[in-house]
Parts: sequence; structure tokens; C-alpha cells
Amino acid sequence: MDQVLSSQANFLAFLFVILCLGLIFFFMYFGRHWLKISLRDIQAFRRFQREVDLSVEGGKRLHVSLGRGSVNDMPGGASFSGLTILDRCARAASNSDQPPMATCGDGVITILSQDTLQSTYRSLATEQRYDPTTVRLTGLTPMAYAAGAIPTIHDENVTTNIYAGHFGTEIALLTEAGERSRSLTVAGTDDISAQAVLYATSDEPLLGEELYAAGAYLGTGPSHVASLNMQDIVRWLLVAVIILGAILKLLGILP
Amino acid sequence: MKRILPIANAIIAVASGLLVLLGYFFPGIFGGIQSILIGWAIVIAAFALLFGIFNLAMVHWKKINTEGQNNIYSIVLLISLIITIVVGIFSGPTGTWSLWLFNTFQVPVEVSLLAVLAVVLAYAGVRLLGRRPKWYTILFLATVLLVLLGSVPLFLIGEIAPLSALRSWLSQVPAVAGARGLLLGVALGTVATGIRILIGTDRPYGG
Repeated sequence: MDQVLSSQANFLAFLFVILCLGLIFFFMYFGRHWLKISLRDIQAFRRFQREVDLSVEGGKRLHVSLGRGSVNDMPGGASFSGLTILDRCARAASNSDQPPMATCGDGVITILSQDTLQSTYRSLATEQRYDPTTVRLTGLTPMAYAAGAIPTIHDENVTTNIYAGHFGTEIALLTEAGERSRSLTVAGTDDISAQAVLYATSDEPLLGEELYAAGAYLGTGPSHVASLNMQDIVRWLLVAVIILGAILKLLGILP
Repeated sequence: MKRILPIANAIIAVASGLLVLLGYFFPGIFGGIQSILIGWAIVIAAFALLFGIFNLAMVHWKKINTEGQNNIYSIVLLISLIITIVVGIFSGPTGTWSLWLFNTFQVPVEVSLLAVLAVVLAYAGVRLLGRRPKWYTILFLATVLLVLLGSVPLFLIGEIAPLSALRSWLSQVPAVAGARGLLLGVALGTVATGIRILIGTDRPYGG
């Protein structure tokens, strides 16, 4: 019986992924011609773009912190969003004397960050600007990671810190370092307790799924806008299913 | 070659991702290949860790060369790294000397940082009123205060039953409801990110 239920759950999950995939393809190839899609204003992204421009003009540096998320696990999603932001920062700062710096708390994310920077510079035909030491593995435990990233904030002429990835409550130490060095902090994470901390400590916190919308807001490509539309539709579907389930339970129809 | 390599990277990454995903939905058919691929991923991740440590050493070696003796922290880091590696090789990861190093240096430093974190959070709570003086900031801080007061016995008064009950309700009903809403968004965002990588529109692997 358990095996049958497990098979049914697996099949439902498979259908769910197919539904998400179908919606993304629909919005990527058809939706953009038929539907007028507008993104709601998220102040953090608006301010982020302005600060990136100011940093480049002022000859200052951007610092992107990608957290401790491993790609083998659920937090990998947040780290991939961080890589998208790192790519946009490198593009925006391509004319600057100071390339962006990245700090990571995981070996795989460190390599992917280096690869992202190298690919970005290659696509801009400025590969000679790539320096592998601008990406740093600062520590493998939460506190070691925070302690290792703090000197980057203080010593590397940073004006804007972007924290995008998987963090725990140790992120308060990083935002505090940003506050002390009078640099702007834009931060988003997948961890709920860290989001509460960010609300209290960050200049511009990205709450809930806002971190995953980074690609759409920073103009990465149509697939990012399409996936944002997919998330909106599926969210409403899930809300409807949850409310329906609660009503059926209240009426005693569901066990 | 410059064009073939990114395409080959993308094909390998997408095919591996699809096989691992299908392994979760249809373990009977794809379970075997999924286990093999995950095993490879773990080995590669371990190698990536070594590469990351080498990167860390390179960064600090470069700092010493450019900033000289002034960069005392980089010198301390490199010496500590070498000592830890030597001790780890000869004593083993759970050997007496390795554990001594860990318990004597790593644990106290991390615990002291945790203590600093508590102070930083308390200070940030106070500063929040200046940063965002809105009604929901006051609600946030009042809730934090209520949960704190309801969680610990108060000096000379002890535990206040209504406060404990309120804390319990706050953490079990509104907090859980809010957290589930946020988690729903995070899960959907993760699914969307995964799908973009699987269809090859996002290529964080040099594709």
C-alpha cells in the first residue's frame, strides 16, 4: 500500500514538473507576443542597479557573496540565483577598473563562480581581466565563512554588497560589516530564519521568492521572465488547492 | 573547438540533470544510473573542496607578496593551514591531535562569534526603528520581545503562564503560516531555477 502511495506521489510530482516546464515554454515562446507582462516594482533591484552604476562611475568595487549552499542540495537554487547576479555585476562593471569580488562557502560554488566570471569576460572579449583570486572560498562552516568574508568588505574598496545564496543567521555579521564600512547591502536567501535576520539588518532585503526573480529584474533573458510568470500561476493554483483541502477537511470529507 | 566545448558541456549537464531528476520520479527505471551520477557528483564536490582550499592559499600568498609583513592575518592563516594539513595527514581526521586542534581553536572561536552575533542582532533590532519607522517594524519588534519574554523564566518572577501560552501560539500559528508561505515561494523559485538549467537557458557551467 505504501509503495502504491509512493508511486502515486512520484507520478504527481512528475506531472507538477511537467506543468511548470510547459508553462515556462508557453510564456517563453508565445506569452511574450500575446500577453503584456509587467513586473511589480521591487525597491531592492531598483536600488541595486543604481548602486552598480554609481560604483562603476566612482571606481569602486562590488562584492557578491554566494553563501554556503551546495548544488547537491535544495539550497543550490539560491546559489544559482546568486551566480546570475554575479554575471550581471561583472557585465555592469566591465568598464570599471575594479572587477567585482565574490566570496563563497562551498567548493563547487567557488568553481562555478570562477567559471561564471571567466565566461562573462570571454563573452565581452575582455578575458584578460579575469583574475581567479577575485573569487574566494572564505570558510566552510557558517562562522568561518562569515569571518573570512568580513575582511573583503572592509579592505577591498567595496561600495555595494550583494548577498545572494544560502545563509544562516551568521549573515548578520556580514550585514553589520557592510553597515560599518558604510556600503549598501542588498540581500536575499532561501533560509527562513536568515530572512528574518535580513529584515532587521539589511538595507534592502529580498524576502521569500524575490531572490529567484533577480534574473527577470536584471534583464538576463526571456526564460527568467517566463519562469516568474510560471511561479505566479502555480502559486495561485497551490493556494486554491490548499484552501479547497482545508474546506474539505472542515466538512469532514477528507480524513 | 571553442564552439564545440560549450555545447558538449551543455549536453552532458542537461542529460545528467534529467537522468537524476527522472531517478526521483521513477526509481525502478532510473534509480541505478541516478545513484552512479550522484556518487560521481560527491567525488567531484570533494575535489572542488580541495581546489577551493588551494584558491584560499593562493589569495593569501598573493596578499603576503603584495602587502608584505603587514598582512599578519594572511601569514597566520597560511601557517595554520599547513599545520592543520600536516596534523590531519599524520593523525587522521578523527585522531587525537586533529581533535585537539579542532576543540582548542575552531570551537572557541566559533562560539565567541556566536556570542557576538547575539549582540549584533540585539543592536540591529534597536537600529531597525530608525531605519524603517513603520507600523510593521513595531509589530516585528513587539513580537520578538513577546517571544523572548515567553521563552525564558524572568528574574525574580519566574515563568509567566499567559506569556508562555502567547509565545506558543505565536510560534505555532502565525509564524508557521507565514513561514509556509515563504517556503512555498522558495520552493517554486528553486523549481523554476532547476528547470531553466535543465532546458539549458541558464548555464552556470561554462556552456
